[in-house]
Amino acid sequence: MSVYLDHAATSFPKPPDVTAAVLRWYADYGVSPDRGDSDLTAVVRAVFERTRARVASLCGVPATRVAWTSGATESLHLFLLAVLKPGHRVLATACAHSSVARPLVTAREALGIELEVLPVDRDGRLDPADVVHALHRSPRDLLVLNHASNVTGVVQDVEPCLRAARDFGVTSLLDASQTMGTSDVAHLPADAIAASAHKALLGPPGLGFLATVAGLDLTPPKPGGSGSSHALDRHPLEWPTAFEAGTPNSPAVFGLDAALAWRAAHPRRLDPSPGRIALGELAQRLVDTRPSRRVLAADSLLRDRPDQLPILSFTDADWDPAELGILLDQAGFQVRSGFHCAPWIHRFLGTPTGTLRISPGPFVPAERILAIADALP
Amino acid sequence: MDPIHPDQRGLLLELSERADETQRADETQRADERHSRQIRFAPFGAEGQARLAKAHALVVGIGALGSHVAQTLARAGIGRLTLVDRDVVDLSNLQRQVLFESADAHAGLPKASTAACAIARIDPGVEVVALDTEFDAALWHRLDRVPDLLIDGTDNFASRFAINAVSIATGVPWIHGAAVGAEGRAMVIRPGIDACLRCILPDAPTDGGGCDALGVLAPAVAHVAAFQATEALKLLGGRDAAVTRGLFVIDVWQGRFDLLFREAPPRADCEACGSRAPLAARTPATTHQANTASSYRSASLCGRNAIQVRPTSPRTLDLAAVAVTARAAGHLVDDLGGRALRVRVGELRVTLFPDGRALVFGTEQADRAIAVHGTLVGDHPD
Repeated sequence: MSVYLDHAATSFPKPPDVTAAVLRWYADYGVSPDRGDSDLTAVVRAVFERTRARVASLCGVPATRVAWTSGATESLHLFLLAVLKPGHRVLATACAHSSVARPLVTAREALGIELEVLPVDRDGRLDPADVVHALHRSPRDLLVLNHASNVTGVVQDVEPCLRAARDFGVTSLLDASQTMGTSDVAHLPADAIAASAHKALLGPPGLGFLATVAGLDLTPPKPGGSGSSHALDRHPLEWPTAFEAGTPNSPAVFGLDAALAWRAAHPRRLDPSPGRIALGELAQRLVDTRPSRRVLAADSLLRDRPDQLPILSFTDADWDPAELGILLDQAGFQVRSGFHCAPWIHRFLGTPTGTLRISPGPFVPAERILAIADALP
Repeated sequence: MDPIHPDQRGLLLELSERADETQRADETQRADERHSRQIRFAPFGAEGQARLAKAHALVVGIGALGSHVAQTLARAGIGRLTLVDRDVVDLSNLQRQVLFESADAHAGLPKASTAACAIARIDPGVEVVALDTEFDAALWHRLDRVPDLLIDGTDNFASRFAINAVSIATGVPWIHGAAVGAEGRAMVIRPGIDACLRCILPDAPTDGGGCDALGVLAPAVAHVAAFQATEALKLLGGRDAAVTRGLFVIDVWQGRFDLLFREAPPRADCEACGSRAPLAARTPATTHQANTASSYRSASLCGRNAIQVRPTSPRTLDLAAVAVTARAAGHLVDDLGGRALRVRVGELRVTLFPDGRALVFGTEQADRAIAVHGTLVGDHPD
């Protein structure tokens, strides 16, 4: 059995309660929350609203402003499609995931939006002053920030950026895919937050959410699908129904409900610090044994900085990341090599062939993480 | 027009089927008429003709030899021709390349598709597939139908050795041909039966100047192409016993015609087809392609211009043995202490791992990666 070290892509293993809750929906309920008047429907609806309320508190928004989606990718797309208009001026950062970068580039071609991408340093860190300065320099319509890079694990100092956007009257979208469940997102003054259930929240795949502050006016891009107000030939515009056309992923909501409950009951098992410390030690061993290696954001890992996720990305001048990925796989470590779906960041990191990424979840023992050093060439 | 009454539909269908049948019978008769003089030649006969009508030849290089042979086979009534050439028609080609005209050269049209149009005018009944591209192992894997025969219409030994390798790996026979100046040579090569090109030429001769430098006489081309086309008719018509075995060598200026390496069998120590060759090269016949497809999967490395190839079932690869054969084939090999092997194959960089996996850098084409991997690793067991 190999060691799973690709937590940044999706969390594994899930707490047993999560699997049990998903199965419970299939075994005992099987209905959607807004279809029919049975007791079962009422229970499913209650689980939906309870989970929605918990997610709302994680995002710092009212529960009515959390819409279920199929994942962070759909959340980001829904928001961008609803907001972007021809000629809009958009500010984004180089650490954007492809689920942000690609719709923005598509909108630049289709709608003629102006797109400026702010640089990051060689660890993937954004300078908040750059954002504030860019907002000051010229008028903008939208700021899209990546809360933490899935390549280097650096959690950005987004608060001053979001605050500045609010001061300038610029709408802001925060991609919290990597930080939802690891960092405090609720206190951030973002207008909209997108995240998924299957990463650090430890929920099932196929579920995500878009959360916005009250009063943000968005046109739902999916103008049809049953759910409520069946007699109308136009989809209702009220939150959250407006964004939830179609049959929802009820088993995944059951799973997320259980994941959130499990998280509340086991806070110490989720402490990221042991994993980060082990990765810091691994970073030290990696660079000590071969001068050809470069660990990204090594300083944050070595100093166990709380603004660093348990992600270690490195390169080795003598080896291609893809080669290292196969060698580690053969040695029983599931890691990731390549660009990690982040198209812009690598030219700033100086990693033209990508990186090898090690991202352990909270349940991986430190000695397993350190054993990677011996398995590498 | 009045709508057709439902009851009439069956009748109409039957009538139209009957009309189709009549038309088909007409066509068969016309085809027989078209090839009647060839059918009357007893050693070939109606049976040879029927086999030829179902046969498929792939012509590599549609220059002087290729256009001659393709034309002859089309007129003879071959079922299908696949024409492969990445070049365009040039004015200097017209002296000997029979399927092209002045307008083609002035427009610089691609040779394969231009030749296909010319053949369609000669006999629209011949199915022609034109590929305006280079012939390599990757192209082989893109063919929707495996040919019965390969015709060498190339002008360099690198391409000929590529055809030789594909032929050995797949078991499909080929007919070598070359012409320069007043000289020419041609030879039928059936893997496992005849000596292969490497058996008689262990080291690739330097292409000491082709037609551009030394010139070429059209009759020299015609002689070689005539030999190739004749042998093709024998093979595709199922007249194997009549095949001329040996290297046909001519000098039309000196009036010399000879047959060297008569009846030469494959050489056991041949690096391409003998026991020293990698196992893959010696895997017989048609199973090779199927094995390649079923034993290995590939995945593109996102944004890397690279492909990962992995066996569908676990296996162990003897990296040291692979290194020996790769070096023997002239590739640059870097042994990474038993953990992996890096091999440079042309512009491709291949890293092989002990569990049979490989990374092929420098291509986005999965079939190309699998083909290159196959030539290095050798066997592709199920």
